Amino acid sequence: MIQRTLPIAFAIVFGVFMLAQYFVPHPWVARGYNTVLDWKQIVFGCTLTLGVFSLLRFHGRKLLRRDPGALFSGVALVSCIATVLAGIFFGIEGGPYRWLFERVQAPMQATLFSMLAFFVASASYRAFRARSAHATILLVAGCIVMLGRVPAGDILGFDAGGARYSLAGIASWILDIPNLAAKRGILIGVGLGMISTSLRIILGVERAYLGQSRSGGGGS
Amino acid sequence: MSEIQRPAPGSAPGSAPGPASGPRGSLGVLAALDRRWIYLAMALAVAIPMLAPVRLPIVISKEVEAFHREIEALAPGDQVLFSFDYEPDVMAELDPMTEAILDRLFAKGIQVIAMTNYAGGVGIGQARLEAAARRHGKTYGTDYVFLGYNPDWSGTMLRLGESIKATFPVDQFGRPTAEIPLLATCDAYRDIELLVSIAGSQLSEFWAAYAGARYGQRMVSGNTAIQAIFIYPFYQSGQIKGFLGGLKGAAEYETLIERPAFGVRGMGSQSAGHLLIVALVIAGNVGYFLMRRKGLLQGNRLRAVERKGRS
Repeated sequence: MIQRTLPIAFAIVFGVFMLAQYFVPHPWVARGYNTVLDWKQIVFGCTLTLGVFSLLRFHGRKLLRRDPGALFSGVALVSCIATVLAGIFFGIEGGPYRWLFERVQAPMQATLFSMLAFFVASASYRAFRARSAHATILLVAGCIVMLGRVPAGDILGFDAGGARYSLAGIASWILDIPNLAAKRGILIGVGLGMISTSLRIILGVERAYLGQSRSGGGGS
Repeated sequence: MSEIQRPAPGSAPGSAPGPASGPRGSLGVLAALDRRWIYLAMALAVAIPMLAPVRLPIVISKEVEAFHREIEALAPGDQVLFSFDYEPDVMAELDPMTEAILDRLFAKGIQVIAMTNYAGGVGIGQARLEAAARRHGKTYGTDYVFLGYNPDWSGTMLRLGESIKATFPVDQFGRPTAEIPLLATCDAYRDIELLVSIAGSQLSEFWAAYAGARYGQRMVSGNTAIQAIFIYPFYQSGQIKGFLGGLKGAAEYETLIERPAFGVRGMGSQSAGHLLIVALVIAGNVGYFLMRRKGLLQGNRLRAVERKGRS
């Protein structure tokens, strides 16, 4: 009973408070608001620590059971522990900690991400087909924006009615008008959805965040 | 039945033609190019212009001009909050603009209060700040400060509106922020002239919502090219006063401040890469339509290819 009621009570109390503080400029309310923000950061820090322990436990188990890919789990564990120890014993301003970041983590992350250029090229070639009117519009707009976002787009273009239309200019129009209209519509929709979900949580109707598969009422 | 219509040994009935079982001849080359050739072409398209730089004309967009105006409007001694909201995965794209902006801020005598909302951004922020400060002979604590990383970005963005020193009791190196001279007269958004968020994610939008809408903080951003598309509504509404989109944005800004560097140099590679992708898309479509027209893709095979394309 308390496992369900207490979190809901917390959500209602703090939800209503954080909503009300926006409109009440009283110093007491401001102090409460700052305290809630401080606690929010403390809770976030605890979840981060929990995440690290969860990661260590997951890979530790895989390693002990010698599951498939246990070698990679070992690498993950050694890297994690070595980085922590480097930070603790040598400090974070320089030394091995910074070396690990600059010479190991940064190049690895950058390399992994740069692979996308190859996969995007291959995937575009294979999947980007003008099969229907919608697909054709998407394909043409995509190609124009892709060329319009590089200097080549300023060189490529055509003349019509005495005016010069560069691909960069057309790409700007696509981004400024159709893209903006669609994005704004999505943003407004997301905003309304967030308000509705927040109200449902504050009023105790939405309880999915407690790990329950169904909300308390009115559907999930 | 022609060779192309016969499934390759071991392939499922109705599966799309792969390079091994693909058509032969010019149509086949267009429709079923081996991915290894694509990878090789992409590697060359990116590497050659980097090794032999090509000078391309760089036209300044209105959003970059607006970004530049915001920076130029700052006076010496003004304080800027600079957030390194990215990790090493996108540093090739965002580092050039970060370096150009920091150089410009330090050259103008602007005081920089830096932080990051990503744990992985700490190393990037520290290195870029120190390098820029060295280039301009700036002193830590009086000309710039690095607050480091605070867990919970939304709480941090909101809390900074109340007190910087309460949000970050110590800087990245453990020094109490209350003892840092730069922060003696600066403790919240109301003391900060401009917020600069360099982000590889949606964090610029959240800065606009939390620091901008709630506390009226003036801000500009620098974003990856893919993320820049999402910034347009905020730019048009005036919530973000200007932004740099991807490496092209960096190149435009470098041109504006007459400091050509990696952004300008990277334009050749980026142009070649984009042209290659468009050429591949055109080649793929030409091959597909010619084969379809000649009836080489029929029945189950055609439906399978179309299904594969949709999924």
